[in-house]
Order: sequence, then C-alpha cells, then structure tokens
Amino acid sequence: MNFTFNFKWFFSVVFAIAIQVLFLRDIAIANVAFCFIYTWFLVKAPMQVNPLLLLLGAMAVGWVIDVFYNTHGMHAFACVLVAWLRPVYFRILTPANGYDERSSISLAEMKWLWFFSYLFLMLMSHHLLLFILEAGDWSLLGFSVLKALSSTLLGMAVFGILEFFNRSE
Amino acid sequence: MIQLFQFLARQRVILLLLLLELVNVWAVFKYNAYQHTLYFNTTNQWAASILSTTQEVKTYHQLRIVNGTLARENAQLRTELLRLKSQQQPLTKLPYYVSEAMLNRYQAVASKVIDQSTSMSQNYLTLDKGRKDGIQPGMAVISSTGVVGKVMSCTDNLSLVVSVLHTSNSVSAKLKRSGELGYIKWPGYQSEVADMMDVSKYKKVVKGDTVVTSDYNAVFPPNIPIGIVAKVGLEKDDTFHDIKVMLFTQFATLQYVYVIKNRLAGQQAQLETTKPKAE
Repeated sequence: MNFTFNFKWFFSVVFAIAIQVLFLRDIAIANVAFCFIYTWFLVKAPMQVNPLLLLLGAMAVGWVIDVFYNTHGMHAFACVLVAWLRPVYFRILTPANGYDERSSISLAEMKWLWFFSYLFLMLMSHHLLLFILEAGDWSLLGFSVLKALSSTLLGMAVFGILEFFNRSE
Repeated sequence: MIQLFQFLARQRVILLLLLLELVNVWAVFKYNAYQHTLYFNTTNQWAASILSTTQEVKTYHQLRIVNGTLARENAQLRTELLRLKSQQQPLTKLPYYVSEAMLNRYQAVASKVIDQSTSMSQNYLTLDKGRKDGIQPGMAVISSTGVVGKVMSCTDNLSLVVSVLHTSNSVSAKLKRSGELGYIKWPGYQSEVADMMDVSKYKKVVKGDTVVTSDYNAVFPPNIPIGIVAKVGLEKDDTFHDIKVMLFTQFATLQYVYVIKNRLAGQQAQLETTKPKAE
C-alpha cells in the first residue's frame, strides 16, 4: 500500500464515476440491462482494505452517483450494503488452499470460476437491492429481478473485457 | 463504561453499516418524490386503519347511548305521526274538522324495557320511566312494530305494564281491509300468536289481512298495527270466526317501547262516568 497505488486507485475511481455519470447514465440495453461500471471500485478494492474505510468510501461514491442519477440514497444504500457483504463473499468463495496474503482481485491472479462467481455475487446483490429500492413496489418484483439479472450479466461481460485488457498489458 | 466502548469498538463495522444505511433510507424516502409519497401513503393507510378501528370500537361502546337518542327521536316522530294521522279528513262531505285538542291528543315517551317475561300465562314488562316522566296507569304502550300493552301501575321512576300476552288484557281491534271490529285476546300460550274474537262468521275475513287497533279504543290510538291474520277457522256450532293473529311485536327481543300519553283520557273517562247505570 504505497502512496502511488492509492493515488492511481483514487483517479481510477473518479474516472469510473465520470464515465458512469457522463456516458452510461442514459444507456439501457433493451430497457432492462444497465451498466453500472462505477461498482468497479467495490469489486477491485484491495482484499485487506479496512472495512470501515470501504463502507465510508462506498457511501461517498454511492452518494455522488445518486446526486447525478437523482435517486438520493438508493445507490448509496446498495453500495454500503454490498461493501459490508464483500468479506462474507470472500469467506463463501475461499479456495481450497486459502487466499494468498498479497493476492489482489483480478482475472490474472484468480481463477476464472472464482472471479466470475465473485463478480456475479457482488453485482447481483448490488443491482437487486438497487432495483427493488427504485421500484418501491412489490408488484414490480419480477421486473426488478429481471433487470438486476440482465444488468449483472452485462456487468460481468464488461468487467471480464476490462480484466482481459488489463491482463494483456 | 469501558466495556461499552469496547463493545462499540468491536462492533464498529456493523454499527457504521447501520448508521450509513439509516442515512440512506432516510434519503431515499426524503428526497425521492415517488418513495416520499409511498411513505406517506403507507403511513397514512396504517394510521387511517388504526384510527378507523379505534372509531369502530368507540362506536360499539356508544351504541347504548345512540339507541337511547334514537328512541327519543322516534318518540317525537311518533307524536308527530299520530297528530298527522288524526288530522286526516275522513271521506265525507260533512263539515267535519278535527279540533286542536284532538290533534294534540297523543304524546309518545320513549322508554327502555328493563325486565319482562313472555313465557308465563300472565306476562308483564317493567319500564325505566315512571310518574316523574308523566306516565300514568292506563296509558298505552307500543313498540316500533306494534302494540305492547297497557301501563298498570307506576312508581316515581318505574312502571309496570300488562303485556298483550296476558289472558285478561284485551285490545279492541279491527281488520284493516273490511273494518270489522273485534278484540284481541291472548290464549295463554305461544308468545307470537293471539286470538281475535267477536268477528261474526257472516263477515268475510281474509288470511293475511292486517289487524290494527280500532277507533273506539279507550287506551290505544287508532290504527296501531297489532298483527296479521294467520289462520281463519270457523267452528260449526260457533257464531264467530276463529281467527289466529300473528303478532307484529317481537316480545322476546323488545328493548325500547313508547308510552302513549292520551291528554284527553281523563275527560273521556269523566264523561263516561255520567252514563246512566243500567240497573
């Protein structure tokens, strides 16, 4: 954890938020698949990061996204809860020989299966919370679940591509 | 105190989570128009349903009072009704008019039945109004459906009524359709059925005809419903019809009755004492 890493990470987060709010805000594939690329910071945060810091960070980023999406509190709610759930997912997905102390979360260092199940859990819980909260109506539950599922699949594809390019560099 | 801080420190992640999520939930419902209205609608719905339940319970407890008020109001309406009925001009060309005293002859007083019997062969009712409320022995007692009986005796606050279901209490009656006169007498059993006597077998009596109090009744106002002709029999050796009358008044469930004051009853009685006695 040196200064340069944090610096780079910080700019990556800002960059992801900027892409999210400037380009991806109004894009929806078939009205059901949304790309929430800003969740990248939650997915890629270092494994050993301080949980308190992650919660506060998730709150801050979610809040910023909410301001631009005009959905006060919803993204923040989903982000904070997913940030809290992250260690739980790590525990569920523990590989047979445990985690490497220095392992970071990337397709290069983790197995395909691990990476994509982790991605699925993270994105699905985030999107499900978000869409249910946004609909605010249990009669729309089916549609919310559909939106969450398709958005998760889209997100997995996008993150997979990003990781692929990352690895080839 | 130290333990409390230790606890807080140990649970700092979950506490922070709860704090942040609380803020978020608050923000969701505060700043999003849809969720905001949703919140207000649901809380209003709950509040409204709780309030309406409370109101229902309250209403139930007020039923007794409401019944009393309704009975009082009915008594007033009945007074008015009796007045209007006597105002009706008979179908004659005679220059007849109803005097003011006759018009305002009857006045109804609502009263609650506090004790009664229906299964004896001589039945009585006790009412919660007495002399203080202007009730005198001899007054008529009716219910919202039909005749009930006659006041027998009063104390200051209570009165005793001889029910129609009493073998020695007869009510002068007429058949509504034909106008045939007779009287109603209870045979001493079956609280729903009474006999109508003194109707000549040469008169036509139809099953289903209504029996009402007659105009010559000293106690009851005219045309108070009594019952309906349920069965018409004719005994060969008898000169009268054997008429069974289904009483309108449900004595078993009687709660409120109206005592009818007849303002001219005294005068009528006084007049009738001047009749020369047949020696």
